[in-house]
Amino acid sequence: MANCLQCKSFFPIPEGADDFEPGKGDCVRQEQDAKGKWFESKPVMGDTPSDKCPKFAQKK
Amino acid sequence: MATRHQPIEYKGKVIEFPFDNPVEETIPDSELHEHLAKPTTERTKRLKARCRWKHSAGGEFVEGDVKAGIERMRLITEAYKKDTGKPHVIRRANLLSNLLNNCTVIVQEDELIVGFNAENPNFVPLYPEQSYMACMDYILDPKIAPQPVEEAKELAEFWIEHSLQKKCETYFTQHELEVMYSMSTLETPGFATGFNSVVPPYETVIEDGLLKRIEMAEQHIAVAKEVLGSENWNAPERLKLLPQIDIWQAMIIASKAAIAWARRHGRLCRIIAENFETNPKRKEELLMMADICQRVPAEPCQGLRDGMQAKWFTFLICHALERYSSGYAHKPDKLFWPLYKASVIDKSFQAMSHEDAVELFECERLKISENAPGKSRGYREVFPGSNDLFIFTLGGLERDGSDGCNDCTDAILEAARNIRTTEPSIVFRWNPKGRLKTKNLVFQCVRDGLGYPSIKHDIIGTQQMMYFAQFSQNKNGATIEEAHDWANVLCMSPGLVGRRKTQKSRSEGGGSIFPAKIMEVTLNNGYDWSFTGMQSGLQTGNVEDFKTFDDIWEAFRKQYRWGMDLMIRAKDVSRYWETKILENPFISAIDDGCMELGRESMELSEQPNGWHNPITTIVAANSMIAIKKLIFDDKKYTFAELKKALHSNWEGFEEMRKDFQNAPKWGNDDPYADEIVKAFYEDIISGEMRKIVNYSGGPVLPTGQAIGLYMEIGSRTGPTPDGRYGGEACDDGGISPYMGTDKKGPTAVLRSVSKVNAATQKANLLNQRLSAPIMRSDKGFKIWLAYMNTWHDLNIDHIQFNVVSNEEMKAAQQEPEKHGDLIVRVAGFSARFVDLSTYAQNTIMARHEQDFEPGDFEYLGLEL
Repeated sequence: MANCLQCKSFFPIPEGADDFEPGKGDCVRQEQDAKGKWFESKPVMGDTPSDKCPKFAQKK
Repeated sequence: MATRHQPIEYKGKVIEFPFDNPVEETIPDSELHEHLAKPTTERTKRLKARCRWKHSAGGEFVEGDVKAGIERMRLITEAYKKDTGKPHVIRRANLLSNLLNNCTVIVQEDELIVGFNAENPNFVPLYPEQSYMACMDYILDPKIAPQPVEEAKELAEFWIEHSLQKKCETYFTQHELEVMYSMSTLETPGFATGFNSVVPPYETVIEDGLLKRIEMAEQHIAVAKEVLGSENWNAPERLKLLPQIDIWQAMIIASKAAIAWARRHGRLCRIIAENFETNPKRKEELLMMADICQRVPAEPCQGLRDGMQAKWFTFLICHALERYSSGYAHKPDKLFWPLYKASVIDKSFQAMSHEDAVELFECERLKISENAPGKSRGYREVFPGSNDLFIFTLGGLERDGSDGCNDCTDAILEAARNIRTTEPSIVFRWNPKGRLKTKNLVFQCVRDGLGYPSIKHDIIGTQQMMYFAQFSQNKNGATIEEAHDWANVLCMSPGLVGRRKTQKSRSEGGGSIFPAKIMEVTLNNGYDWSFTGMQSGLQTGNVEDFKTFDDIWEAFRKQYRWGMDLMIRAKDVSRYWETKILENPFISAIDDGCMELGRESMELSEQPNGWHNPITTIVAANSMIAIKKLIFDDKKYTFAELKKALHSNWEGFEEMRKDFQNAPKWGNDDPYADEIVKAFYEDIISGEMRKIVNYSGGPVLPTGQAIGLYMEIGSRTGPTPDGRYGGEACDDGGISPYMGTDKKGPTAVLRSVSKVNAATQKANLLNQRLSAPIMRSDKGFKIWLAYMNTWHDLNIDHIQFNVVSNEEMKAAQQEPEKHGDLIVRVAGFSARFVDLSTYAQNTIMARHEQDFEPGDFEYLGLEL
């Protein structure tokens, strides 16, 4: 089963960061509406199953 | 075509009034404001065009995408449920930490300052720990409900038992709660509405950085533990250290979370730059922003970009994330002067031009314009055409008595003039030492119809800080130097800014009482016949039995005193519970007093600053004048006849109504009227209020103002003896003449207002509308400056202006889509005209446009 680690949106949090935990990353996505674009980031564990995530996009 | 002011004959000369900007000769009056915006850069032009306004009109958000978010509710509840058994202040710190570590962080395209208060830039956060009713306003409205709504309902319901509202209600009778919750004689207390204010000590964040604050707290804990473990245990002395250790520990948790959260923004900027952004210039900007967020607020700020970002992060935590507070109280020209100097003048760090600084301040204005809390519907109605109260203060004097205006002051004013947003509003502290260059920029903002800066008398404010200092319970009130460092806490009332001693809660000062409605119930033995149908006040007698004017005067006094006692009791009960369940560990961490003493921000109060807002006072005062004149002096009518007329809403009593309407009115330099109003303000409005001693040990003083409540309370107030019909708006400012009744010119108003001793009041809002053709003429600044200098010399606390033609407002009513830039001053805040209800718009149009005549020029000592 795919998980967040395999997603294009997953960026591992570097060691030394205040919120570093092994396997933890930022889920970064670009959003847009009529007013314009923005990026949002939420913390996520890499081993979180992504089968229910509508925005999952496999890393190449 | 534009309307030029007709020539005036003055001192033997004919004075012409050509436009200061000749181009305006050809701009029709009906569209002037649409030509005034000049954003400094293409970026701020773009940011304004796509601004996610959070304005409300008639309680509804103007922009359809605005909704409540669920993230804050979810994350604070998750933390709170896990944490039972820990000291409460640590639970509050963990609640904040869970929120900051796990919330969504956002970076929008084009922006230079990052950070938002909810998970989507169109959302507003909710505060279930403060007010269940305010949350339900959203949950029950499908247009704006947080999703999934069932989860939101469960979260809100969890907090009922833990909420401030539930804790405080126990101490009031059912009748007292009904009177307060009916919002007609008294404002519903903050423990039920969730409305709050705070003055964060930004200075410690900018100057020290949070890592230093953590180090300080750690050292305090280490010393405390040493004392605990030292020889000869002494319980009464040493047990006091336990809660102090908890508070310092909570400060550390909160500060670390704040640093990590800021750095998450930096990391996001870097990820965008390295993986998504293709424009090299924007890539460079994002990397610069990543560096800034990595360093601040962890470390002291070194340049202006650092300062703006650190302040923004601090603002979000203090006003939106740790707890909701309205406001934006600080003095940015003083706060940022060292950073402006480093960046713009010395160019030693984050080198930039003055125009770059102006751009940054424009960006800030647009960030504020996108920021809103999840306020209750009632409070969205009270601030029509705006998103909340965001007000900062400029000018005044430095601690050493030198002019507080500097080039940073000017950059902030230029940004306001250029970008034209309703928020943040600005207060300017007027002192004779203030430089002319800055005062001219203040004038330009006023002339352009922004409604701000509103002007405060600098010396009155400073003296007031000294006055309250004497009541400090730990004998550490403001020093003479510190008393110079003040800003308006919200719209009107001064409070200290700085590293400590700032106001931390609206339970110290804020909240309202409504004299017009109190007058109405006084006339009916305490009974509210026109709105609630209940006994809203004391039984002070049937007015038909009153023999002298003193009888009605004293009856009103009793009603007012009862209401005031209840209001301050409500605030202090709230304060008591805020110290126990709404601690703010982050605010405590950045306050030097809290840090030094190991005391929490809600509990420690070094500088009392008690006030309460009488709103609709002039309707009551004008009513007193009419009663004295027509019932007791002229004996033309009896109270019985008056009551009959009022209970008919004057229908069938038109002649009588005209008599009461034409009785002397406040604001015309009329000795008969003014003597009564002076006594009303000093003897009752202030005299009764200042008998109260509040939580902080000081008196409570009246801050007369209005915000949008003059309309809301007007709609709930029946007909009054000043000739007003039931449901009509009341007076639009604390000491402002009633709309349209100030007929003797602008200087007559000043003379009236000057008769009330400003030292007996906390503040009093004076709304004036000045002639647009005069203000926009080449003599506008000279006339206005003379007017302002006279205002100052008359020792008047405050003044603010509308400069807008009825032609433009009528055109905007017809075609609102063409008048998005038309801004008006409501009272205490400015609003986009087209976002106001028609009822509200009409009250602005009804305000008398003061024109200047030769007699006024003479009084002002003008040479033209």
